[in-house]
Amino acid sequence: MSLTVARVEPSIAGVGDYIELMKPRVMSLVVFTALVGLLVAPGHVHPVIGMTALLCIAVGAGAAGALNMSYDADIDALMARTAGRPVPRGRITAGEAAGFGMTLAAFSVVTLGLLVNWVAAAMLGFTIFFYVVIYTMWLKRSTPQNIVIGGAAGALPPMIGWAAVTGSTAVEPVLLFLIIFFWTPPHFWALSLYRTDDYARAGVPMLPVVAGDRETRRHILIYTLLLAPLGVTPWLFGYAGSTYGVAAAVVGAIMIALALRVRAERSGHTASKQMFAFSILYLFLLFAMLLVDRTSGLLFGHIAL
Amino acid sequence: MTTVSDPVDDFTKRFMGEPMGDPPPQPGVRLTEQQLRARRARSIAIALALGAFVIVIFLVTIVRLGGNVLTRPM
Repeated sequence: MSLTVARVEPSIAGVGDYIELMKPRVMSLVVFTALVGLLVAPGHVHPVIGMTALLCIAVGAGAAGALNMSYDADIDALMARTAGRPVPRGRITAGEAAGFGMTLAAFSVVTLGLLVNWVAAAMLGFTIFFYVVIYTMWLKRSTPQNIVIGGAAGALPPMIGWAAVTGSTAVEPVLLFLIIFFWTPPHFWALSLYRTDDYARAGVPMLPVVAGDRETRRHILIYTLLLAPLGVTPWLFGYAGSTYGVAAAVVGAIMIALALRVRAERSGHTASKQMFAFSILYLFLLFAMLLVDRTSGLLFGHIAL
Repeated sequence: MTTVSDPVDDFTKRFMGEPMGDPPPQPGVRLTEQQLRARRARSIAIALALGAFVIVIFLVTIVRLGGNVLTRPM
């Protein structure tokens, strides 16, 4: 009788590898949009409670990132953009990443519920579930609409921030949700236009892989035409002043101009790279302007000290 | 790279004795310098995270209780 003993090599993963597992750049955008949701919400929240909410949202986003990297290690290894991630590089095993992600997910949701409120905690739990199970495990490998529907996960943080203050939701945070929801497809499709080979090699059915370059450029324009007016709606609905309205219209017009250039581009990817870069700035500017508009002169004035 | 002791070898040495002149080998997994450094860094990070968690719980408790923190039944 032979006895097989599994030998597990002790980990050489450093702290940096675990931080990388939490997708810090995505996390910073999540924290920023959640902060805006939290600061524009009516009512009062103590700064310590507000900071705790943001910390939980950040850790929850990191948990979702770790779980995503754990599940996607096979396709990450095939794409140049993601091959350097800790799991495909062999620094962390997929099991360690999953354990790390699950621990952080449980801690962030329970802590947010116990220390802030359970509405925000339920939303955070749903966001992690949606990103990991609905997007990563299901949609990403099965449909070119993956980032359209999956984008809902990235759009929820301002609603969580709002719920952390009010314990509920309203039309305004839903508008913020819709802005990010319609921003996600043109942002990722612009990226996928010049990473098509990567996605094709990994078997990820992104729009340019499945429907081609021309169709993707058309879709980018359609979604940008929907996004630009949505960006102005906080002003149209009376939630923001005219300064915000004018600024949102200007950056929205720039987005449309870039989408038209992407649509017209026949060779090369200069326009799609510009579109991808500006789309990040667009979302940042929109939320920053909303923050300044709503809190002008009294940035933290509505937070009870 | 790690070394894992052979259970048959361990058994033989325990009951049959060590061969003369050889230093007794240490049983178990031996970590390399890199693995030890990585483990130490991870341990410090976990300690800092736990410390931060305790501070957050403490601060939120004080905020939630407010002035009542000094009120206690005698």
